[in-house]
Amino acid sequence: MSDGALPPRPDYQPGSAQPRLNRPVRERYPQIRPTSGYGDPRIRHTGPGPGAGSEQEPERSAKLNARLALALTVVIGQLWALTVTVNEWMEGNTGTAWWAAGFLILSFLVVLGLWLLDPKDR
Amino acid sequence: MSLTEPPPPATGPELAGEDAAERLRDRISADSLTTRRDYLRIVATVSGGLAIGGVGVASGILHRHGDSESLPRTKKVADRLAPGESVAFRFPGDEDRALAVRLSDGALVGYSAVCTHLACAVLWREDRGADGELYCPCHEGVFDARTGGGTAGPPPRPLPRIFLTEETDGSVWAVATARSGESAREALCRQFGEDRPDMARRLGCPGADRATESRRT
Repeated sequence: MSDGALPPRPDYQPGSAQPRLNRPVRERYPQIRPTSGYGDPRIRHTGPGPGAGSEQEPERSAKLNARLALALTVVIGQLWALTVTVNEWMEGNTGTAWWAAGFLILSFLVVLGLWLLDPKDR
Repeated sequence: MSLTEPPPPATGPELAGEDAAERLRDRISADSLTTRRDYLRIVATVSGGLAIGGVGVASGILHRHGDSESLPRTKKVADRLAPGESVAFRFPGDEDRALAVRLSDGALVGYSAVCTHLACAVLWREDRGADGELYCPCHEGVFDARTGGGTAGPPPRPLPRIFLTEETDGSVWAVATARSGESAREALCRQFGEDRPDMARRLGCPGADRATESRRT
């Protein structure tokens, strides 16, 4: 199909070019009750919350996901290190237990760094 | 409030309270009440707790069951112990539960009766296994009666050993302890080294000769 066959583009405006799609959710979907899908009676509006789809830099979201995944992985490593610490202490290997404790502290500092990085990301 | 729904126009200062209520309602009705950054904060808190716990463990906050730094006082366990029998006692401290067992072939063994998994009481079960077993009923932990090593279940470490001697009259005495997984020589040298240098020398402990000489001079 050539470009000449396309209708002219409407002027850009937020939302849809069709006014009927820009009506409030309550009018478009009268079946949705104020608390549909929620057990919490305080929630009056269903569907996407304010700000949904308005992410200015979507790639920051992926970075935050990655930081969270890294932090969780480090915590799993810490759980392992704590079992090592307890076992070594109980066997009388106090030096090894202190090394494991040092590993735990370093891991905590890594998680702390991941948390302090880009504090505005949500 | 959805994106396509325009905010109601404020008509005067009297609507400020309503505005605040509406904003609060919007915040509550937002998709995620807990943000990923909140999760990250929780994870960091857990991580800090684990680090503090690790330092606490390494600095000795936990009690080593059935262990004593110095040579414990010898304790009479039983007047006589027949094959297949066991006796429960406290050694080296009054809080340290222990167990002495005479195996069917006459061997005498002693262990801490505190399970290395979650500190439940360990029981002697003669009817289990070829030689009988040390059994923790809490989580089905099983220890070998001859070595104290874990053979089944969740216990991560062997049972701490207790060294027993038998007198000519048949009485059984507890004399020393070994930590979980510690060799007998290491354990005996650690405890006899300072208090009983003659015994340490007989055991061939490192540094025993020097200690004896320095005492003589």
